[in-house]
Amino acid sequence: MILGDLLGVDVHDDGGARLGRVADARFVVDGGPGQLLAEARLLGLVVSPHSAASFLGYERTGLRQPWPLPSIFRWRHRGSFLVLWEDILMIGSSGVRLREGFTAYSPALD
Amino acid sequence: MKRLLGVALGILTAIGGFVDIGDLVTNAVVGSRFGLSLVWVVGVGVLGICLFANMSGRVAAASGRATFEVIRERLGPRAGLANLSASFLINLMTVTAEIGGVALALQLASSVHYLLWIPVAALAVWLVVWRVKFSIMENVTGLLGLTLIVFAVALFLLKPDWGSLAGQALAPAVPAEETVPTYWYYAIALFGAAMTPYEVFFFSSGAVEEGWSIRDLVQSRVNVLVGFPLGGLLSVAIAGCAAVVLLPAGIAVTSLSQVVLPVAEGGGKVGLAFVLVGLVAATFGAALETTLSSGYTLAQFFGWSWGKFRRPAQAARFHLAMIICLFIGLAVLATGVDPVLVTEYSVVFSAIALPLTYLPILIVANDPQYMGQHVNGRPVNVLAMVYLVIILAASLAAIPLMIVTGAGS
Amino acid sequence: MKPRRPLAPAPPVAGRLLDAQLHLLDRQVLDNDGVPVTTVDDLELSGPALDLELAPGTPAPVLTALLTGPVLGTRIFGGRPPSSRLIRIPWKDVSDVGVVLKLGVSGEHLDAGWVERWIRDKIIARIPGGRHDPR
Repeated sequence: MILGDLLGVDVHDDGGARLGRVADARFVVDGGPGQLLAEARLLGLVVSPHSAASFLGYERTGLRQPWPLPSIFRWRHRGSFLVLWEDILMIGSSGVRLREGFTAYSPALD
Repeated sequence: MKRLLGVALGILTAIGGFVDIGDLVTNAVVGSRFGLSLVWVVGVGVLGICLFANMSGRVAAASGRATFEVIRERLGPRAGLANLSASFLINLMTVTAEIGGVALALQLASSVHYLLWIPVAALAVWLVVWRVKFSIMENVTGLLGLTLIVFAVALFLLKPDWGSLAGQALAPAVPAEETVPTYWYYAIALFGAAMTPYEVFFFSSGAVEEGWSIRDLVQSRVNVLVGFPLGGLLSVAIAGCAAVVLLPAGIAVTSLSQVVLPVAEGGGKVGLAFVLVGLVAATFGAALETTLSSGYTLAQFFGWSWGKFRRPAQAARFHLAMIICLFIGLAVLATGVDPVLVTEYSVVFSAIALPLTYLPILIVANDPQYMGQHVNGRPVNVLAMVYLVIILAASLAAIPLMIVTGAGS
Repeated sequence: MKPRRPLAPAPPVAGRLLDAQLHLLDRQVLDNDGVPVTTVDDLELSGPALDLELAPGTPAPVLTALLTGPVLGTRIFGGRPPSSRLIRIPWKDVSDVGVVLKLGVSGEHLDAGWVERWIRDKIIARIPGGRHDPR
């Protein structure tokens, strides 16, 4: 599948309640060694309840400058969380559905 | 010694390269209608372009990434495309205006009608872009553009009432014949002329073309911080000449011949000769910069291979894009549209497109992933945020003011 | 709204983390000589099957290719090109991910470079001086 089809779609829990939208997909480069770089495996999805737009790189890093931009962008992404691949029940054309009792992790990168 | 020469050359090039058709026309128009009462805007604009040109140069030197690559990466494809469309259209207008400016300047020098000079000017621009080494192109046009200092000389020779000029500049007031919206409309035009986005596209791409590293940053900073303000003083001299000669005579500038009129009056034939060389060099230099900038913006957005440091065959789409731009400029000029009018609109549209260009530069200049330890310091960030607010205000006010004032008429 | 508790940090993993929007999409791609090839317009994954419930333990999909070409237009304006019209740069050709993505292969033979090569061979190289080295 194409990643562009996944970004921005709705995310629901197993009961059908809307949790937000897919803001990003996190990969981890730890798969079987490829030719040059190891394979990049889908670790999970970052779900944002308010906005799926990208926010210029501020949302998951420790950048603090220049005031007040980081605070504004972080506020737009408040409540976002990382859900691991193991907790995803289904990826469909109309949305992503999570398993019962999924864990919401902090989306922070550092 | 060699290093000192390099610095001197860089500064001189920055001065000569600062003034383009937009600065020439807007400053003369403003001087002839508002005296020096808008000079403060040139100051604000020059400080702003120093700030952001320097920042974009630092990003390019630290990361090797030119401004439009950064814009695409940070804004994403949609907002990036919106910015590309706006910047590219304005750039195309500016290319058209500059080529028209070269032709008009050559008409003044030769009495041959400017429409005949237009293909010559466009061909010359293409030949330089196609063939001439980047640094030679920069230095020759910059140094020849220095002859515009004749505006400052002419201002002295005109023996103006310095007290009244200083009064206009230091205690700005809207002249009785003009309205407040018109005053602010021209304030935005002057601001747009000083801060045109193509300057940062060109500056940052030029840093990549010349392979700057962090070590070259000191020199680039000196070039910008000394050269641009001196170039700004040239702009003020243009406005001053117009204020001294044209304002009292009631002539509002609508053509390039009126821009040089005060120099002829103050400096005689020699002055006129100098100003004509300066006009051709400044507009030709800016035509090169804007043509290259249209190639840079497209190539960097789409990820094509670009740069004058490569053989044309190794940057094929980049060169083809510039050839097409020159043809579009030719086609527009062939309709007989007045290049001076195109210029007046292009500077205002520049002001509108400013925020989408300067915001990503500021953000990336704070990102250690790109900059390592060379991220912005706090004073630079504070100043840049102040400018972002000014830029946003100018951008939002431009269209309403354009409608209310009938584009300043 | 209930008070928000700080979320637990994600379990640590051994490899490097890459967020698609933050580190991959819209970045410049350079070939092994440092020549720009394209930008990352989209990414292709090995799975999963759409609209099917995933059995616990299903292996996670991996990145198979960087995409370019018409997919940029559909990413901006919506819709999607048929799979046959996607231009792929296989992930196995990527050698490094930083501010730019570096390839371990030459751009000369990649599908992603066909427009550039066509314009070079049919137009630019035929103009006198087209192969002149400016340096």
